[in-house]
Amino acid sequence: MAHRWGMAIDLDRCMGCEACVAACHAENNLPVSDPAQAAKGRAVHWIRVDRYYEGEFPEIRVKYMPVLCQQCDEAPCEPVCPVYATYHNPEGLNVQVYNRCVGTRYCGNNCPYSVRFFNWFEPKWTAPLELQHNPDVAIRPGGVMEKCTFCVQRIERVKLDAKAENRPVADGEVQPACVQSCPAEAMVFGDLNDPESKVSRLASSGRATRLLEELGAKPKVFYLQRGK
Amino acid sequence: MRYIWLIGLCATAALAEQPILFPHNKHMALGLECLDCHSTADTRAAAGMPSVRKCMLCHEKLATDRPGVKQVRDYAARKLEIPWIRVYGFSPSALVKFRHAPHYRANIDCTTCHGEVAKATVAEATVTHNMGTCLSCHRQKKATEDCVACHY
Ligand code: HEC
Ligand code: HEC
Ligand code: HEC
Ligand code: HEC
Ligand code: HEC
Repeated sequence: MAHRWGMAIDLDRCMGCEACVAACHAENNLPVSDPAQAAKGRAVHWIRVDRYYEGEFPEIRVKYMPVLCQQCDEAPCEPVCPVYATYHNPEGLNVQVYNRCVGTRYCGNNCPYSVRFFNWFEPKWTAPLELQHNPDVAIRPGGVMEKCTFCVQRIERVKLDAKAENRPVADGEVQPACVQSCPAEAMVFGDLNDPESKVSRLASSGRATRLLEELGAKPKVFYLQRGK
Repeated sequence: MRYIWLIGLCATAALAEQPILFPHNKHMALGLECLDCHSTADTRAAAGMPSVRKCMLCHEKLATDRPGVKQVRDYAARKLEIPWIRVYGFSPSALVKFRHAPHYRANIDCTTCHGEVAKATVAEATVTHNMGTCLSCHRQKKATEDCVACHY
């Protein structure tokens, strides 16, 4: 059976350390933005950690929520692309084909989660940071949209390894950079089509909710927290 | 006489693009396999280039009088790799990823995509690679046509 990749994020475990953000930048060749561009809202982060404050100081509580592309099954970004640069692949990934993208930014505009980013300029790295580029991931040129891929380069790698060894992909074998780097093990990645996978069990536990569920985009990222 | 010398010089200049003129044909005639030198074509994305240490397994003793082999030994003595100039390859701006391993496992011969390298005196790009050539075979062999298999 085809895979259907999904993620579960335990908000009761997340402590907002942003290791996932750093790991994502390193794995996916994300440029470091300068302050002037960041102030214009042009910084690119495929994953970010949102903060919510509850109560008044000193009785304050902070809640953290990592937000990445929700890989929606009914993705609002897809139908608005005039050139089919973003589409749904057979494994449920919402894919951005940079070669195809002409930069209309309609997709980013239609994304309720604000997880799509436009490259206003050619990406730049201050030396020697360009030496750490991951050769398995494209360097996106200026003028195209980009976003989290669920680390598709790792998915491809694991699938081909499994095929070479004539075995199915094991649960937990694919680890996107954010999942791998999370010290609290708050993030779990896996196949939602496998009812036994850890992510499937977490997604169907009573603690799971999805972001802005009422919009009907059917995200494949599940947020876990204790019932209110 | 002087003209012949000039023409000869031009011809060498055209071929001398590679740091050393490596003849595939003479080495294949020794009974070597492609994988002896491009040793990760069966398991990895890149086929891999042989290190100068591999050349020295033979050229420590064999054919040491040839000018080309002298150059190889010179690189080895200075502990340098030979800076081969790439013949095939997509530029990073093509935004495409190729992997050798699945093709090796699907029993696709090297010649399908690289021509008769075994008979070549110099490696030349004799086969064109573009999305059309990739996909026409993929379609025929029922391999993937999903954009993200090649573009990420
Ligand atoms: C003795 C080692 C050796 C063997 C055996 C060998 N090669 Fe090579 N190959 C090299 C070296 C060295 C180069 C780089 C020099 C050049 O490009 O002329 C090279 C270059 C190439 C290139 C060009 C790579 C590029 O993009 O720059 C291809 C394609 C290639 N070989 C295919 C093959 C095939 C197919 C076989 C089997 C029929 C084979 N080789 C056997 C050593 C070897
Ligand atoms: C299996 C042993 C072997 C290996 C490994 C090997 N060679 Fe050779 N090479 C030979 C032999 C034998 C000859 C002489 C062939 C002939 O004259 O027919 C030769 C000839 C050559 C020549 C001279 C060709 C000419 O006639 O001018 C060059 C240059 C050369 N090799 C380069 C290399 C390089 C570079 C490598 C490493 C990528 C390499 N060889 C690896 C055995 C080897
Ligand atoms: C389906 C087509 C295809 C087949 C089959 C194939 N190659 Fe390639 N090969 C390519 C392409 C495309 C590139 C350029 C890859 C890139 O730029 O990422 C390449 C690059 C190379 C290179 C350059 C350097 C490197 O490390 O990748 C070598 C050497 C090579 N191939 C050797 C081989 C050998 C040996 C075989 C047989 C075992 C083989 N290839 C089979 C398509 C193929
Ligand atoms: C001569 C036929 C042929 C050509 C040419 C060819 N391929 Fe393939 N390719 C195959 C076959 C067959 C498979 C399936 C292997 C399998 O299912 O294990 C495959 C598998 C792949 C895969 C693995 C996909 C996956 O997830 O299963 C990638 C990536 C790929 N090819 C990329 C390319 C690219 C890029 C090119 C062009 C440079 C290319 N191929 C050219 C026959 C070809
Ligand atoms: C089997 C591998 C493969 C698949 C699948 C594939 N492509 Fe490609 N594509 C390539 C290769 C290789 C090139 C680079 C051609 C070149 O540089 O000459 C390319 C180039 C392109 C280009 C042109 C880029 C340019 O700068 O000229 C576009 C657009 C493109 N692909 C879109 C797509 C879309 C959309 C899909 C899915 C429907 C797709 N590709 C599926 C291999 C593939």
